[in-house]
Amino acid sequence: MKGYLAFTKKEFVEQIRTYRLLICLSVFFLFGLMSPLLAKLLPEILSGMDLQGMVLAIPEATAMDAYAQFFKNITQMGIIVILLVFGGVISNELTKGTLINILAKGLGRHTVILAKYTAMLVLWTLALAFASLVNHGYTMYMFDTSDISNLLFSLFCLWLFGAFLLSLIILSSVLTGGNFGGLILTVVVLGGLLILDLFPKLEKVNPIYLSSHNLEFLTGALMPADALLPVLVTIALLIGNILVSISLFNHKKL
Amino acid sequence: MNEIMEYLPFIIPIIIVELVLMVAALVHLLKYKKFRFGNQILWIVIVVFLQIIGPILYFTIGRGDE
Repeated sequence: MKGYLAFTKKEFVEQIRTYRLLICLSVFFLFGLMSPLLAKLLPEILSGMDLQGMVLAIPEATAMDAYAQFFKNITQMGIIVILLVFGGVISNELTKGTLINILAKGLGRHTVILAKYTAMLVLWTLALAFASLVNHGYTMYMFDTSDISNLLFSLFCLWLFGAFLLSLIILSSVLTGGNFGGLILTVVVLGGLLILDLFPKLEKVNPIYLSSHNLEFLTGALMPADALLPVLVTIALLIGNILVSISLFNHKKL
Repeated sequence: MNEIMEYLPFIIPIIIVELVLMVAALVHLLKYKKFRFGNQILWIVIVVFLQIIGPILYFTIGRGDE
């Protein structure tokens, strides 16, 4: 337990020193801020264009548009940022050999995985909470937010998807070698999941569900009960990823 | 002028974040001078002229090991 706390603390210090904290928070802050702004400006930009007599009927922007932008930003650019920032968390230490010393001094190998996952999860939670707060604040400032339902559940789905992605990064980094092996394998698996998402029958057992139906929860088209199966499947996969990572890492040659 | 005033609550935070990222990246790259690829002048140009993306690229893929 002592080793776990110490290693987690070391991870937090590393996040600050490598500017991961600064990057994550500022990028997610900008996502939160830009989404309502883009939703507001898009009709004005379109109406400013010279359409040569064509008439475009553009409905007034609503809070839903702001949230549509927000979820689109986080699930596309946000995921890319997460992959870039966390892609090398384990591979770097493996290629540089910095883990050998502390492991030789008796720190359990499972502790390394768990502590790294904890630190990544805390940063992801902070970043997403920050973005959501900023986004909700500005959306309230510009639009009427009274018709939004299930906001917290929708955000929870997004958070859970991110947590699953982080566990996938850890598993891929343990499975592959080299600096970018983990990153590439994660992207490949993510691509596979996206392809599986095309089949309607498999949709509900796919973690992608949690990142592709967020807006439907807000409009009330889907209720939290509809997402019970995807949530359970994702939690199971997440725990499975971590357990497999630990057992593989136990036998990995450093 | 009114238009600008309306969007001031958006513009000011964006500028602050851009500046913080740019200064952090500039201070770091002037201090350590080690890059995975490219040279100092290239990275200064990227950091200063590519707002937001530039510093992020520097910290994620450009920065060398200390």
